Amino acid sequence: MKIVKRLTIVVLCLLLIPATAVATAATKQRFADGPNQVFSGGPLESGELYVGPEPDWSFVSEVPTIELQLLDPPRSRRIWTAEYDGRLYVWSGYMSTAVGRLWKHWPVQAERDGRAVIRIDGIRYERQLVRIRSGDILDGITATITSKYPSQTTRAAVEAGDAWLFEAAPRN
Amino acid sequence: MKYFYWFIAVAVVVTALAVLFVPGVDDFVEQTLLGYLGRAAR
Repeated sequence: MKIVKRLTIVVLCLLLIPATAVATAATKQRFADGPNQVFSGGPLESGELYVGPEPDWSFVSEVPTIELQLLDPPRSRRIWTAEYDGRLYVWSGYMSTAVGRLWKHWPVQAERDGRAVIRIDGIRYERQLVRIRSGDILDGITATITSKYPSQTTRAAVEAGDAWLFEAAPRN
Repeated sequence: MKYFYWFIAVAVVVTALAVLFVPGVDDFVEQTLLGYLGRAAR
């Protein structure tokens, strides 16, 4: 019994090392201007704030990821994006899995307060995230998504709540 | 066990300092975590 206890202590102590690495990296990123891959970053501060007519979002088909910051809470993350029919969309998968719900908080926060800032190629855009739950438009959006990314986002997944899809609409 | 605890303490401090100050270490940590999270979420 004593050896089991000692072995448990050893394993827990060894796990402390990667846990420290993850916690330190996550904390470091919180103070950065923007996110990295997994860890949320601080507010998007650098970059020109776009002012003018609605942009032609077709250029995002060549952009692998964008930086998205909600105003509340003011944290940023890196996400996939797609343009369909002149409109910009972002989404989050894994929303019906336990790990996904633990990992991804921003969709829930965005549904509560959709005011957001996105940064693409160093330019910041003020947007309003509006969740889309159903509708025929999902066929076109998800086809665009799956043609751009190795994603399993389908209309059925969105309508079932497995993936949360938002239009990054102009902010009024 | 005393030496083991010392080893862990030093390793934890060195890990934190490396992540904070050595370029690329934070990216490595994040990439590794991303791999685990991606698999776990499926």
